[in-house]
Amino acid sequence: MATRRSKRRGGRGRKKGGSNMTVLGVIAGAVLVLAAVLGSGVLKKSGVREAEPETSFRIADYRRDGSRFASAGNTYVFDGRVENIETIDNNRIVSISIPDNPDERLPLLVPGNVRLRTNLTRGDRFIFETTCTTGKAQDGSQVKGILIVRNAQSR
Amino acid sequence: MKTRFIGTILSALAIGAWSEAQMPVSSGGGAPAPQPSGGGSALPSSFDASGSAAKPQQNDPTRQGETPPPQLLGMEMPLMDPSTDTVSYNGGVFDVGNNAAVRARFEKYLQQLPDDSAESKRYRKLINDILKETQRGGRDSRYVIGSETLIRVGKSLYKANEFPGDGGQSGVLASAMVSALDVQRANLSRSGQNAKLDADINELVHKMDRENAKNAWAARNFEKHKIKYTNEMKDSRTMLETSKANVAEKKAEKAANKVASEANLLAAKVNYQSILVSIFLQRRFDHVVIGSRVYRHLFKDGDVKLNVDEDSQVGKAFSKGTGMPPTVNALDSAASNARREIDQSIEAVHNALACNRLGEATQQLIAAVAIGEYMQSVATFPAEARRRIAQYWTLRKRAYTALNARDYATVEEVAAKMKEMDVDFDNSLLLTYTTGKKRQSDLAIRNAMKALQAGDEEKFNTYIAEAGMIWPRNPNLDKGAEMLNKIDAGDPVKEEFRNLYKIGEFRRIAAERERFKVVNMDPELAKQYEEVITLVMKIDGLLGQLKGLAQQDVTLGPCMAYEKLIEWQKEDERYARDKEMMIALKDYESQAHDFVQALRDAKRSEERGEYGSALSCYYRAQCKYPGSGIAKEGIRRVSDVIVKATYP
Repeated sequence: MATRRSKRRGGRGRKKGGSNMTVLGVIAGAVLVLAAVLGSGVLKKSGVREAEPETSFRIADYRRDGSRFASAGNTYVFDGRVENIETIDNNRIVSISIPDNPDERLPLLVPGNVRLRTNLTRGDRFIFETTCTTGKAQDGSQVKGILIVRNAQSR
Repeated sequence: MKTRFIGTILSALAIGAWSEAQMPVSSGGGAPAPQPSGGGSALPSSFDASGSAAKPQQNDPTRQGETPPPQLLGMEMPLMDPSTDTVSYNGGVFDVGNNAAVRARFEKYLQQLPDDSAESKRYRKLINDILKETQRGGRDSRYVIGSETLIRVGKSLYKANEFPGDGGQSGVLASAMVSALDVQRANLSRSGQNAKLDADINELVHKMDRENAKNAWAARNFEKHKIKYTNEMKDSRTMLETSKANVAEKKAEKAANKVASEANLLAAKVNYQSILVSIFLQRRFDHVVIGSRVYRHLFKDGDVKLNVDEDSQVGKAFSKGTGMPPTVNALDSAASNARREIDQSIEAVHNALACNRLGEATQQLIAAVAIGEYMQSVATFPAEARRRIAQYWTLRKRAYTALNARDYATVEEVAAKMKEMDVDFDNSLLLTYTTGKKRQSDLAIRNAMKALQAGDEEKFNTYIAEAGMIWPRNPNLDKGAEMLNKIDAGDPVKEEFRNLYKIGEFRRIAAERERFKVVNMDPELAKQYEEVITLVMKIDGLLGQLKGLAQQDVTLGPCMAYEKLIEWQKEDERYARDKEMMIALKDYESQAHDFVQALRDAKRSEERGEYGSALSCYYRAQCKYPGSGIAKEGIRRVSDVIVKATYP
């Protein structure tokens, strides 16, 4: 489970309008998400501006439709165990498993130009700060729903 | 009796002359098959039951143990059996009418134009004049041909010798005559010498008588003239002794002359007779008649016996008929008779042609040509008549060839033409034979068709081969092939097989493999049949092995089996159509549901460009079945796309 924090206010919540009921609902949801994050090990990144989560990140949902998590500015923080690292050129594909869900693997892209504060090693747990985005393949087609690691620290 | 005897001898000699050059070809293993007489009406009898041409009677039991025929003048004597038209020669028996050499010679004769050139006419006139000249001496036994006549005959023969068609035989005969005359002249000279010797002997004897008388008188008066006579008597005795020696010497000389004359005469006779026999063997009957008639005027001692070994073939040939020793007159008679027979044969040919009896005309002409090729009547036989006989002969040859090739339709066609040309031609035996063979062949084809319908390919092939062997050009063989195609097209089993194969129902074919086995008769269907059976057996084997492996691990086994089946289907699309394999795939699919679902989700996501999701799905599939090649390959492929993409 992961939380989404927005650098900007609003997001999908804002699209629904600015009624009091909505605000209350969002606050209640945020409280619930916070409780869930605290319970599931997904941490807030220090320094990142707090944002009220609009939806929870479930790997099953990501497998079905990853691009739905690729709204601009969304950051996802995962606490996971490195199961595999595949290096292609300077880039790495890191597959992590989330605690309590060992049958799932979440692939994260660590671009070569990202300098991490720690060395990623297989079998160790790290906290990954990621953004979900859509890239462009060499043939011009879209490469949707890619989780790109912006930062990581050992847990 | 005499005619038959002479005919046999003449035929034997005629064939012998031809055989000298040509028989070795025939007897060297390539002896022709017997051919019927009578214009080919008995052709079928030349073949055995299997249709094969009969062999020459090389092992005639009646000839077993017989010693090889002796040689005469460097030539072996062939003997002809007129009842079968065969000649026994050098241990083999040959059919005259079917001898390749005889046929070739006869065909050559038919193609030649009549010898009517002015030169030829001059030659024939010359020979006829000689015959007339010698005929008088033959008719009147008291008439003696003088040396002038003999010289004229000899000169005419030398003149005839210049004609190319004469073959130098006139010159040979003339030379033999000259040799005989030379011997006679030498003998005459020796007779003169002997007469002179007789006179000398008589004179010596007279002289000796006188001396003896003188000596007797002197003996009586010896005492009176003792001294005088003593010397004279001494001389007289010496002279007597010398005279006696001279007489003895002359008598010996006379005896030697006599012996030499007799020996030379005998040698001259043998030489002349051998020339006559040689000419006779070459069928130069005009020359034989001339030489025989001149003989008694060349050798006037009345001895006409032929000096041939009685055990030789010529000696036997002459003595067997009459029981008498062979003579020059017998040669004359045989040659004269041959001339007459040949002329009669040619006359018979003309008569037969006038009545459109081509078969008989052909037979008569073959006999005439075989015996008297150099006779005037044969050499001048008209071109038109030759052409007609050549046509008939060609048909007869075609019938013979077609029969050997078992082309019965052609045989019947030729027989019909021969019947048109020859009113006497009896084609019943020929037609009976061909009809029988044709029916036999058709029956074999019918049996083959039955075997085909019963799906018995082996019997079908046997019967078809039999039908082709009996009558290779049987038109029903082609019809059989057409029928085969029709049956093929209409065969419900083959049709069903084709349909099942087309829609990929291999399992049904395999389930009824025994029923569909009949399609093996068609080479194309046989290949398909083999393909189906092989494939089904292979799939069954693979599924069996897979089942065993899958049961070893209830969690990973179905995943492994599913992935293996997918791999096989990619390798061979025929697997994807197999029902058993499809059932197995569905079964393993349900057992490895999560794994299969992950792979499917991955594929769908990949197709939509959801590479993050796709990679996640492949990882999930890999979690379910770590050994998955499909997942591994998907991860590699999708990772490659992700890392090479550019991101904002």
